[in-house]
Amino acid sequence: MKTFLARLSLKARFNLLYAILLVLSVGVLGWYSYWNVWHLLVENTSAHLRARAKPVIEHWISAQGIAAGDSALTGIPRPALRALAVDLTSRNTVACILDKNGHMLVSGKRLPEEPDPPAPQMAYLRRALNGENEITYRDQSGEKAQLVLLIPLRPAPGSTHILGVVQLSTSLQEIDRILFRHGLMLLIAMAIILSLGAGIGMWLTASGLKDLETLSATCRQIAGGHFGQRVPVAGRSDEIGQLASAFNAMLDKLEATFAAQRRFTANAAHELLTPLTALRGSLEVLLRGAQDDPAAVTRLSKGMYAEVTRLIRLCEQLLGLARLESSANLRKKTVHLRSFFRTFVQQAKRLAPQRKVSVAEGPDITLQADPDMLQQILLNLFTNALNHSSPDTAIVFSWRLLPGRVEILVRDFGSGIPKEVLPHVFEPFFSASPERRGAGLGLALVKSMTEAHGGSVTIESEEGAGTTVRIVLPLI
Amino acid sequence: MAEKKRILVIEDEPVISEFLRTGLTYEGYEVVLTGKGSEGLQYLQNNDVALLILDLMLPDMDGLDVCRQIRNRGDALPILMLTARKEVSDRVKGLDTGADDYMTKPFSFDELLARIRALLRRFGQQNEDESIRIGSISLNPQTREVTYHGVALDLTPTEFALLELFLRHPRRVFTRETLMNRVMGYDYIGETNIIDVHISHLRDKLGDKPPRLIRTVYGVGYAFHPEQAE
Repeated sequence: MKTFLARLSLKARFNLLYAILLVLSVGVLGWYSYWNVWHLLVENTSAHLRARAKPVIEHWISAQGIAAGDSALTGIPRPALRALAVDLTSRNTVACILDKNGHMLVSGKRLPEEPDPPAPQMAYLRRALNGENEITYRDQSGEKAQLVLLIPLRPAPGSTHILGVVQLSTSLQEIDRILFRHGLMLLIAMAIILSLGAGIGMWLTASGLKDLETLSATCRQIAGGHFGQRVPVAGRSDEIGQLASAFNAMLDKLEATFAAQRRFTANAAHELLTPLTALRGSLEVLLRGAQDDPAAVTRLSKGMYAEVTRLIRLCEQLLGLARLESSANLRKKTVHLRSFFRTFVQQAKRLAPQRKVSVAEGPDITLQADPDMLQQILLNLFTNALNHSSPDTAIVFSWRLLPGRVEILVRDFGSGIPKEVLPHVFEPFFSASPERRGAGLGLALVKSMTEAHGGSVTIESEEGAGTTVRIVLPLI
Repeated sequence: MAEKKRILVIEDEPVISEFLRTGLTYEGYEVVLTGKGSEGLQYLQNNDVALLILDLMLPDMDGLDVCRQIRNRGDALPILMLTARKEVSDRVKGLDTGADDYMTKPFSFDELLARIRALLRRFGQQNEDESIRIGSISLNPQTREVTYHGVALDLTPTEFALLELFLRHPRRVFTRETLMNRVMGYDYIGETNIIDVHISHLRDKLGDKPPRLIRTVYGVGYAFHPEQAE
């Protein structure tokens, strides 16, 4: 059952469930209505017959002068009994009188076309003899179904003595016909309700699920490479509308990520192509004959060496970026900031002996960080500061303690960065200056490395006044 | 020898302009280098240039703008664009702006030379499709026919390539390595004395007797001396 359901589409499952519920509810209602009508008709008929029989019987008892102590019909002559039976017999209804053993004493049937009274059913008869007044049952023994009423004969109303039983039987033909018509009407009504209901239900499910189908069609198109596709939302606020807008939001994010990835790859390829062009061209020129000129060999070889160095550095930086995608590559250690900076500034001064490099020391904080990466971050920022400021200006490092974090500042007094390019400086391969020195990965790496530590990096710059890079790292 | 063709190279990558300068100079062109579009435009206004090699990404201006300005001035000199952008739309844009040819990085220097020759030929500045005539030697690169004193010579492709190289660069001394690279391909690996074999076959076919057309420069290689071809 479970696998069968799982194999059905959502739409089919909804429709199946809906149809089952509809059939059940309409069926129960119809059955109840049928049963109710049947019950009503039978009650009505039997009440009517009883009401008619009661005065006849009472009159007859008093006319016979039956003593209150009598408990049998043996003393009453047969014609008198027959007179009662005949009085009680009317159109469609035949009366007969039964003694205590269930023997039919007389029958009210006069004309041969009138139905024969059915043989008494002993179970009901015994109940009547025990004093039960209103026994009604359906007798199916003859060729036609009959409704049978049993009325105990008492010497006086309320007496516990029972002389015998009057059995009234009437044909159920009329009732059955009414019931048949009623049942037929019910069936037709049910059929109409079911088909209408099922139709409307299927339409509702279909229109509800249509957007799901649109969604899956869009998914297939996207899988085929059409990333610009979106699911129409059109002012829907139901669950499917929410799903559609969530789906669209996810697509926006994915598309942006893919675009960034594509841009990154294109930029990386471009950065690789320039040194490769130089290498290929230089080699061709050498092989074509420049190899015979020692001066040309030296010049071209030096250029090629520089390009190979550039390629290697670029590859290392790209690998670094890729490695930083997961923070699992961090090798965190306890770093004492004061001694770390003292060592770092010595290295920095060796890189640029003519430059004024100073450290405004903050408190001696210890933090958990990858010291190699921290050094790389500061070195990249230092190189940028060197390249974008004049040789007579200073480069200042400083740090201070924030709640749970440390803030490190790298400040230069150089040319600054124009406002319009400031938001882009952390993008890979972005280079503000046309006479680019590197591949434009330095600040991208700084950002990745800082973020790998759970920190953040921001940049403030004023054109002509200088630039400050602010690194905030968590202590742990 | 005809006057050297002057080629202006506007390219900001120093290593690329360096090999272009060395390589093109070796091929007999006069090379003028600049890294800036504005400087290039200025140079073009005051000097006669046979061909322009233009990089699309320049520090001071877009290469397409340089191209557009040259054409707006009514200058029809052949322009060969260099770029790292490979998309067809970029090439179309470059050619529509007025470039005559387009090469994407990394390009082959040999192909660059071929395209330069084709452009110069198309602009009627170099009659390369006609025979090279030196003395009584005539060589036609198109039909690959060689005649010496009016007699047709039957040369192998390698011998033909050697003779063409010598005729194009009279008196230049070629080392065996260079000759091997030029006629057998850069990826050919083998002993350089294979060149001696080809040279001796070529000399036999030319009936080259001392003092020779193709002279051995001892300890270096070979050089072609056209005065012997009279």
